[in-house]
Amino acid sequence: MRLYAIRRQEPLKWGSCLVFPAALAFSLAFCCLLLAIQGKPPLTGLASLFAGAFGSHHALQDTLLKAVPIFLCALGVAVAFRMQIWNIGAEGQYALGAVGATWAALAFPDAPRPVLIPLMLLSGGLAGGMWALIPALLKVRLRVNEIISTLMLNYIGINFLDWLVYGAWKDPASFGFPMTARFSPSALFPRLPGTRLHLGLALCALAGVAVWLWLSRTRLGYEVKAAGSGPRASVYARMDYGFLVCLVMAVCGVLAGTAGLTETVASAGRLQPSIMAGYGYTAIVVAWLARLNPLSIAVAAFLLAGLRVGVENLQLSLQVPAAFGGILEGCILLSVLAGQFVTGFRFRVERDEGRAETEGAA
Amino acid sequence: MLRRLLDRILPPRVFEERPEPTAVFEASRPPVVRLERIVKRFGAVTANRDITLDIHAGRILALLGENGAGKSTLMSILSGRYHPDEGRILVDGEPTRFSSSRDAIRAGIGMVYQHFMLVPTMTVAQNVLLGQEGGFLLAPRAMEARVDALAQRYGLEIRASARVAELSMGERQRVEILRLLARNSRVLIFDEPTAVLTEPEAGKLFDALRRMASQEKAIVFISHKLEEVLSIADEIAILRRGAVVDRMPRTDVSSKSELAERMVGRGIALQMGREPAARGEVVLELEGLSGNGLEDLSLDVRRGEIVAVVGVAGNGQKQLVETVTGLVPPEEGVVRILGREWRDFYAQPRWEETLAYIPEDRLGLATCPELDMVDNVLLTTRQGFSRGVFLERGRAAQTTTRLVEEHNVQPARPRTQAGKLSGGNLQKLVIAREFFRRPKIIVAEQPTQGLDIAATEEVWKSLLAARQGAGILLVTGDLTEALELADRVAVMYRGRFIDVIATDDEERLASLGLLMAGVKE
Repeated sequence: MRLYAIRRQEPLKWGSCLVFPAALAFSLAFCCLLLAIQGKPPLTGLASLFAGAFGSHHALQDTLLKAVPIFLCALGVAVAFRMQIWNIGAEGQYALGAVGATWAALAFPDAPRPVLIPLMLLSGGLAGGMWALIPALLKVRLRVNEIISTLMLNYIGINFLDWLVYGAWKDPASFGFPMTARFSPSALFPRLPGTRLHLGLALCALAGVAVWLWLSRTRLGYEVKAAGSGPRASVYARMDYGFLVCLVMAVCGVLAGTAGLTETVASAGRLQPSIMAGYGYTAIVVAWLARLNPLSIAVAAFLLAGLRVGVENLQLSLQVPAAFGGILEGCILLSVLAGQFVTGFRFRVERDEGRAETEGAA
Repeated sequence: MLRRLLDRILPPRVFEERPEPTAVFEASRPPVVRLERIVKRFGAVTANRDITLDIHAGRILALLGENGAGKSTLMSILSGRYHPDEGRILVDGEPTRFSSSRDAIRAGIGMVYQHFMLVPTMTVAQNVLLGQEGGFLLAPRAMEARVDALAQRYGLEIRASARVAELSMGERQRVEILRLLARNSRVLIFDEPTAVLTEPEAGKLFDALRRMASQEKAIVFISHKLEEVLSIADEIAILRRGAVVDRMPRTDVSSKSELAERMVGRGIALQMGREPAARGEVVLELEGLSGNGLEDLSLDVRRGEIVAVVGVAGNGQKQLVETVTGLVPPEEGVVRILGREWRDFYAQPRWEETLAYIPEDRLGLATCPELDMVDNVLLTTRQGFSRGVFLERGRAAQTTTRLVEEHNVQPARPRTQAGKLSGGNLQKLVIAREFFRRPKIIVAEQPTQGLDIAATEEVWKSLLAARQGAGILLVTGDLTEALELADRVAVMYRGRFIDVIATDDEERLASLGLLMAGVKE
């Protein structure tokens, strides 16, 4: 018996709607298996994961808030990926965004909120954007591979942040903990009354719509798409490929930087190393899962944020290791990628007896 | 008249005639391989229709046909890369089904592709014996001795210890052949083997082919070059539009033109009936353009005329095109386009006064294969569909639909990805797009390369019609095309125009062949 895989002319239309739930189900089943191996009750574990993420008002708010930085980073990554620029440096750009915003908050503690928040957005976005421009310029001018340079810059960015909070910016009143002083109240995001939901969500909506409009409706967005699918054709069509590379990288940097700022301001109210929670890497998973489509990114970001929050609950209730969330995240990505392969092919099984028959007849 | 002229310009290359077939052919002997009623379809296109073909040991079978006639598809079926939709393959009289090229190689059928599949950093011996080294440990000496012996037996001159990266194309081809021989292939298929070879190398290849045939190998030789087929084949099968239309022993063919007529099915030269067009202003001026492999090029192209640049490939045509189309700045000398200096013209492009470039590389340079037709039309016309920062996609889609209809692009669905179009249809789409802006100057590079006759004719008609509003610089390796379309022919040799000749000057045209070889009396 043989299995034949034949490439389809066009991938299945409904395939992507089917692949994602199937991959999710597969990953959850895999997660149950892992729990069972460790001697934990798998179904209780799933229930606790789900309850932790979406089970209560409190949990839902948690998930939504975690989705904010993931969404912003993933949106930026998706813009770069759209042009086939493999920017995996959202993590570092996020760190620089946090640093930039902290600078504004520490330098102008007395500024009123309507001044300080835009100023922080500006300095955070600018810092992230500039950070992302470094690999972009290296790529355009010196042909340095952006995968390597963005990855390396992540470590530099994170260490820069650490250096600041351990040194120059350390709060003298922190008893030696690496953190800056608490920001003044006017630097904190306004929250929806009665909830913990803050300005960051509005920023997400704004950014999502803007990026969608940009990529699908404008000439520059079209150029990004065209340059991504054919760099040589874009030169033939007299697009400025170098400029486009810098543009998508800078946009990604601004978005990731804004994510860093949101997390600093909203979750901690000060700069501390714990804000580096790997959102920039999760963003890559989210962008791929969503096939670079802004609306799908929102959904995927929400789901993966739920996973992160839920796993914390799971950790508490069943004492599973913290790495569990990462394993699950990787498993979802791999199974979705495998699923996308399946939609591109037709499969046919042929039995050897059948073959003998046709030959006999002929 | 044109045919006569072409014969005078390009005297048929003299290959030594074969005195007799390499092996005595016994009709009673069963073929090594028989293809029986093979049908292969790709979507709506039937690449092979009902093909039956016998391949005999000790014989050289030439498969002759134009580009797109279905030769490569047929041979890919034989070598196990594709499944036939209908029909069957018999090896030694036994029906066989190949599910991969590995199966075909096991059955003794191997193919030498145009693009070699070798590991450049490894030696000849390692490449030849790749995958059949035997045990866990390698014995380089023994491997080399084995490959040397094999090479000697078939007269394939090569040093087994040499690294593939250091070899010429001809030598690399020999490595490919040795690789098949080392696997005891009985049927060797050659896909346009001389395309990458110099003439002496081609001669050596032919000697080796004869030697292999005399040692009972069956050879299939795919080509569209008539002289080669006549000089090497024992038997000729002609493919046209996916079907074998003719099959004959070499001895039945008396002349090249007879073979050509059988191949094309009508006289080769299309008679385009070129209407004279009024000459207008100068659209392209070159004055002493030098550097980047070019030497002192001077030329004027006027609206209403087509100037063909001909020559053996690699004599500076590419650099000339790159300079004129704005990809590479001129080093020395003056390039004036539509009366503006090169730098000025490309620094401030205008929507109205424009240059259109139809590149040789249709899929990589002129279009993005993954984007649909609308997006590909927008590639060079996006300026015309912009409103502020926004792009009027609706209008672009309508325009694409109209262009696709006007230029008869099939399938006529604007949402089709460019990569899914056939070469001819893709070229028609590129031309439709480039002519949409009503360019004043057109640079067309090998515009009909790889196209079938019908598509060629449509492209030629488009170019002749476009001449009414534009001056055309036609860079081509196809002399027929140059003489059919152009008013003047500039012969390029080692980066210079060795001569520029009006196409109604028969006397001087006769020396075109010599000029292309760099000889000027």
